[in-house]
Amino acid sequence: MSGNEPSETASSGRDEETPSDADAAASSGEATPPSGAESDESSASEVDAAGSAMSADVHEDADPRDSIVPDERVPDDVTASDLTIEPRGLDARVRIVWVLQGLLSATILSVIVAAIASFFVDGAGWIGAATFAVVGTLVVVHSILRYRIWTYEVREDALYLERGVLTRVRTVVPYVRIQHVDASRGPVERSVGLASSVVYTAGTRGADVTIPGLTSERADDLQERLKQLAILADGDDAV
Amino acid sequence: MTTLHPLSIPYRAAQRVWQFAGFLVIFAFSGTLFSGGGPESLAIGGLVAASLVAAVVWEVLYYQRFEYDLTETTFDLRSGVLSTRDREIPYRRVQNVSISRNVVQRVLGIAEVTLETAGGSSAEAELRYVAVAEADRLQNEIGRRKRHVARSEGGEADRDAASTAERDVEAEDAEQLFAISDRELTMLGLVSIDLRFLPLLTVLAPLFGPAVAEQMLVAGPAFVVAPLAAIAIYAVTALASGVVAVLNYYAFTLVRRGDELRYDRGLIERYSGTIPLSKVQTVSLAENVLQRVVGYASLSIETAGSSPGQAGGSQSAVPLAKRERVIDLAQSVERFGDPSFERPPKRARLRYVARYSIVLAALVGAAFLADRATATQLYWYALLAAVPLIPVAAHLKWRNLGYALCEDHVVTRSGFWNRTTTVVPYYRVQTVLDSQTIFQRRRDLATLTIDTAGSRSLTGQDAQAIDIDVGLAAELREEVASRLQDSLAERTPAEDRLFDVDAAPDATFDGTPSPGE
Repeated sequence: MSGNEPSETASSGRDEETPSDADAAASSGEATPPSGAESDESSASEVDAAGSAMSADVHEDADPRDSIVPDERVPDDVTASDLTIEPRGLDARVRIVWVLQGLLSATILSVIVAAIASFFVDGAGWIGAATFAVVGTLVVVHSILRYRIWTYEVREDALYLERGVLTRVRTVVPYVRIQHVDASRGPVERSVGLASSVVYTAGTRGADVTIPGLTSERADDLQERLKQLAILADGDDAV
Repeated sequence: MTTLHPLSIPYRAAQRVWQFAGFLVIFAFSGTLFSGGGPESLAIGGLVAASLVAAVVWEVLYYQRFEYDLTETTFDLRSGVLSTRDREIPYRRVQNVSISRNVVQRVLGIAEVTLETAGGSSAEAELRYVAVAEADRLQNEIGRRKRHVARSEGGEADRDAASTAERDVEAEDAEQLFAISDRELTMLGLVSIDLRFLPLLTVLAPLFGPAVAEQMLVAGPAFVVAPLAAIAIYAVTALASGVVAVLNYYAFTLVRRGDELRYDRGLIERYSGTIPLSKVQTVSLAENVLQRVVGYASLSIETAGSSPGQAGGSQSAVPLAKRERVIDLAQSVERFGDPSFERPPKRARLRYVARYSIVLAALVGAAFLADRATATQLYWYALLAAVPLIPVAAHLKWRNLGYALCEDHVVTRSGFWNRTTTVVPYYRVQTVLDSQTIFQRRRDLATLTIDTAGSRSLTGQDAQAIDIDVGLAAELREEVASRLQDSLAERTPAEDRLFDVDAAPDATFDGTPSPGE
């Protein structure tokens, strides 16, 4: 876990005496939790992030691949309504990611088609090129539509997603059901400076809850918010 | 620490050699190994002997290094020949404990015990193999300790006294809920049709297919023979499914003990398993066409155990009984009352008409092409006789769809051939989603899916309200989500500790991050 993951739990466990430590650290920013200065600093920064609900710049150095577990505490003065996000779309650069990924598939497909065609006719190269042109166009159109449709919203009690070009899907993920939240960055995503947030629930479809096309700051911010909302919701996993 | 049954060594070794023998036979038949005497056959003999020895040595090591233990709060497992693995499974996380014994295992007096939790993609603990008495003991002990852990969280002081008292109480507490009667078993054999047997038939068909086909072609023209053949295939499928069902559910009993249901079943292979009532995700009632005609139904109770199928999380609680009796039993597990189903709007039927028309058109087209391409007369236009059936089929499909929002549950229903009614408590809802394919969008329809942690969602058998109005779907999505929140507010949340604080006083297990990626 990197330094700015709130680490009260790591230092003192989930024991009953934890609140006092956490509260002290949170309210003054001066008190020294058992494990020392590092966790002091992180508590303070967490309060900033959550309290003012503008944490975009606080988490620059977070390791995006860290998973978080809703297992920790949130400062008392933060409520779920402070953490909500109005419906918003993805970063425009996600179209580049999708187009590149799609074109890669299109290339592979057209090579296969050309290879098969070369057994039967001459000029298989043209067939391959035509396949690439058709599939490539579809990929581009699909990516643009997909970007236009994609919306996510952080509500008070649930995460709401709307997505899908051919099959439109609208999902409600109640925070009580969140098991953990991952941030992931594929090679293509990384090249344009984007990341995805993956939300896991105990339901198997929950693994499908991926929000792509987030800037690093937004991905970290979203991860942090979802974590705190999951803690505030304080549910069990119902399994 | 306890070890496995010593007989598991020869049994497991024999299993391995058997698998290896399969290879060897293919190898031997394909090559010239048995053609000459001398060095080749000697080499083969050496290979067999070596593999035998290797298998036995491996299994002896496996046996020696496999240990398990029932501690106060966890089931501990240490296993592995080359790399050892230590595993602690908290009792409160155990979903199902099942026992299975095949014929050979029954003769040897050993059994396989499987423990499942909600995590992972396979069973968390597989004990292959322990003595039968030990298997029963484990099943009972784990159930008992699970209840004990749950109870002692209130802070009981004297565990030993409490557990002794409990044991006495529980021995009497076992209540038989259901035992299959001969009549029900016969009925089960008659009405169960498992279409999964069809692929098996297609494998068998080439074996004695040609001979039969010749006879049949002599018997009459194709348009008479083909339907007859279809009926025959159906009958064989039904017969095979019936026999399998009877063998599987022979002597089925369902017993309630404390917080757990326990079933026993099987004639040749015996199965036994536990279903913790506190972990029930969904309850579903299945009735195929034949069962509906005679007024019978079956009930399955789903938990979050990891592997779907017979041995896993979805357990057949009642294989077949009178519908009323099944509903009573379902109500005793989840009191969902008397749901009044809402059907999809009538325009949904047009969708099915369109869908079935396309399928039929494709079939007719294929038959037509086959007719042109081959010399045989196929009477492809005979298929057009099915056209009047399309609206009927569409109506039947529509009629059997439905959903109902009850006080504490959402109930969905679908399927004509095999109608399934699924009851989901709001409390178990994980996510709610509504989806709209391009075909649904044309008619302003949508499908609402209610996802739970149950193992059936692995195979996409979530509870679904299919083809309801798109506006309604959106409303219901929010409604179900908000009822989940309400149901959570009503429930006092259980203290969700993975391990008992007493047993794990230091915070070793707390705050452990789940592995990234």
